[in-house]
Amino acid sequence: MDILEQITSVFADFANPKKRVFFGYLALSVLIALAWLVFIRKNPLQAALIRVFDAKVLLSKSSMADCKIFVINRLFTFLISPLLLSQVAIATSIYFFLHGLDFLAPSYFSGTGQGTVVTLFTVTLFLADDFSKYLAHRWMHRFPLLWAIHKVHHSATTLTPVTVYRVHPLEGVLHTLRGVVVQGSVIPVFYYLFGDAVSLYTVVGVNVLVFLFHVTGSNLRHSHIRISYWPWLEHILISPAQHQLHHSVAERHFDKNFGAALAVWDWMFNSLHLSHGEEELQFGLDASERSSAASLQVLYLQPLRDIGRIVRKHARTASGMARRVLLRG
Amino acid sequence: MIKNSLKLTTCLVVTALFAGSAYAADTYGPFPVTVKGYDGDKTSSVSYSGQVARHVLHDSLKKLAGKGDGGGNAAELEAQMLSYFNGSDQDLPIIAPVSKDGFPVKQTTLKEISAGKNIAGKFYDGAMPAWPGGMTGKEVVLHMISQAARTEGGYDPVNGYDYAQLISKFTMGAMPYNQAVDNYLDGKLDAGVKPNGEPYKDGAYYSGKEHVWDEAFGYFGAAAHSLTLSAEDNYNIAKMKDLGTADANGDGVIDLKSEYVFGPAYYAAAADKSGKTAYLPTIMQAFIDGRELIASAEGKNLTGEQRAQLQGYAKVIADNWEMVLAEAAFKYAGSVYKDIAGITEASDDAARAEAFRKYVKHWGELKGFAMALQSGKNNLGKTAVHLNRLIGYGPVTLDGTFVSGLDADGNFEKNRKMSWNSYQLHMLRVQELLAESFGIEARANDATAELAGLVDSLSGDGGAETD
Repeated sequence: MDILEQITSVFADFANPKKRVFFGYLALSVLIALAWLVFIRKNPLQAALIRVFDAKVLLSKSSMADCKIFVINRLFTFLISPLLLSQVAIATSIYFFLHGLDFLAPSYFSGTGQGTVVTLFTVTLFLADDFSKYLAHRWMHRFPLLWAIHKVHHSATTLTPVTVYRVHPLEGVLHTLRGVVVQGSVIPVFYYLFGDAVSLYTVVGVNVLVFLFHVTGSNLRHSHIRISYWPWLEHILISPAQHQLHHSVAERHFDKNFGAALAVWDWMFNSLHLSHGEEELQFGLDASERSSAASLQVLYLQPLRDIGRIVRKHARTASGMARRVLLRG
Repeated sequence: MIKNSLKLTTCLVVTALFAGSAYAADTYGPFPVTVKGYDGDKTSSVSYSGQVARHVLHDSLKKLAGKGDGGGNAAELEAQMLSYFNGSDQDLPIIAPVSKDGFPVKQTTLKEISAGKNIAGKFYDGAMPAWPGGMTGKEVVLHMISQAARTEGGYDPVNGYDYAQLISKFTMGAMPYNQAVDNYLDGKLDAGVKPNGEPYKDGAYYSGKEHVWDEAFGYFGAAAHSLTLSAEDNYNIAKMKDLGTADANGDGVIDLKSEYVFGPAYYAAAADKSGKTAYLPTIMQAFIDGRELIASAEGKNLTGEQRAQLQGYAKVIADNWEMVLAEAAFKYAGSVYKDIAGITEASDDAARAEAFRKYVKHWGELKGFAMALQSGKNNLGKTAVHLNRLIGYGPVTLDGTFVSGLDADGNFEKNRKMSWNSYQLHMLRVQELLAESFGIEARANDATAELAGLVDSLSGDGGAETD
């Protein structure tokens, strides 16, 4: 592979409509941001343009670190490839397992209309994927071992669309695993029930609902443009402002708005926080987290040190307990 | 300098031409007579008509297995089937393959091919645990013949047997495959057995090793010119569809002795039609290369090196042949899986009976090929045990029962039940087991391929994005 091909492959996501940073979605996000500032916030166009392309945000040290991590994490794709292989294995195992349910024959609902099957599959896959993202995200904040990894993402002090890639490689593995389990489970269940009628409604090769999420400005959640929705809508969909609030250092915003596309999960499980009435937000982490906005060394190694510390602490506690039990015995 | 390079070029061209004429054979024969002391008028030492006769006996036996009238002609039919299985003093008419419109067959009786041949003497007679009753291979096929004669059209709907398929597919392994891989391509390639420096038998125009190799080729059942044809062409010859490609010498009739494609080669072509495998050309090439190697010894005993090379070709043939049988079993496990859906989704009794008939036919093919795989040289060990357990002695029938054994009188017992779902799962497991044990490549009727394709097509859709 020559250098040009390598560079192309590193930046392939910008040309891939399956990815959030596809240039088409980015361009639409810019337009949405400008429209919001001009028509809703009543800014002059020039001021809106300066605000959207604010060099203090886009060229900040934190933002530069996002870009470096984006490139470096490409080196870790070898961690992810074997997981994708296991998706077929999971799907096949579940498909085999379902044959054991004697009350439900394979292709039991094969008479269902194609349109119904495809709609049902498209919606189910989207809901299952979104809910699992909510759950995984909640766990990332709840469990110290996972938080040690996830705080790399929260160490960003400015947010840009590239911040979506600001993750520790181990978090990339966990998220891929989540996707593998969800797809590997939903697909065989549908295939078992409906047979070969199963397929997705797609636009440019993407689930139509994911496509809608992206064309309506999914990139703006990682930006400094605070777009809010009507309160009723913020109970259903996570607005960019709601996600920015999730990145806030203010204690009252901790553990709120874990949702990816849908806010209903946060609403159902009491982690919803609407965006109205909030002042200017500050992004990042408390100093006690010993992270960094820009040091790559800290961003890549601190999570490993934290994990080591947590494991050692638990090991000490466990061995202490064991000793006490033995001595008492 | 120029002169030198010219010499070199000429030398290369001559070598290439020579090599071309010496090694470019793409048909099996003719090969020269090399045996010392032969003074007859034969110009080619190739001879495998005995094996062709056995293929014809098999094809005829398969046809007869479907001729029962429900019991009325049982004794007579069984005797007739046995005459083809055991051979007969009298000349037997060829029952299959016979001429049809646009596809005239040259021979009409067995004697026109080779006299005095039988299947019985060449049938695998080791243990065959895939069939109930604890019988040997030959005992099993005799049991099948006896049962077939009592049915109507070879079909036993109560136990779920299609005897024409069972007998035919089992025989395809127990006779040609077994004889080739466990005899001619195995022990008969040893140094002291049928040496190349002597005629195969007194007065023969072929040497020991020449004829051993020819007999193995004859059992494979390919046409002498199969290597020059596509998989589709070979397949169509066996289906008697394409006179043009079959009639290699252009005399307007199909000579069964060299122009027809029989069972094993037909199934190799069937797998190759997928475009994913090349079993037929690989096996054909190994047979031709091996035969050329023997001819190059010019009637002398093979050296250790030559024999090792020949055994290398024999291994290629045996390995690929086993794959052909495994691919066929894989394919029919997929058919049985699909057929069950047809039975459970049938709207009325007539449709259900029709779907069940198709299912029994495919099951017979699956079972026959699974037994064929166990009739070769390799002891399949655990794979065979699992295969037999998953497929069962008989398929699940319409009342949910399946054959669980034979009673003291040799009648089938059906003491066990299984749901359609579970039996479908068994078929998935059969495919999984065959794929893992043999490395199936053509994967015809793969029951989980669509699922895997669906999973693959949806992966990488950005599910790993983090918020």
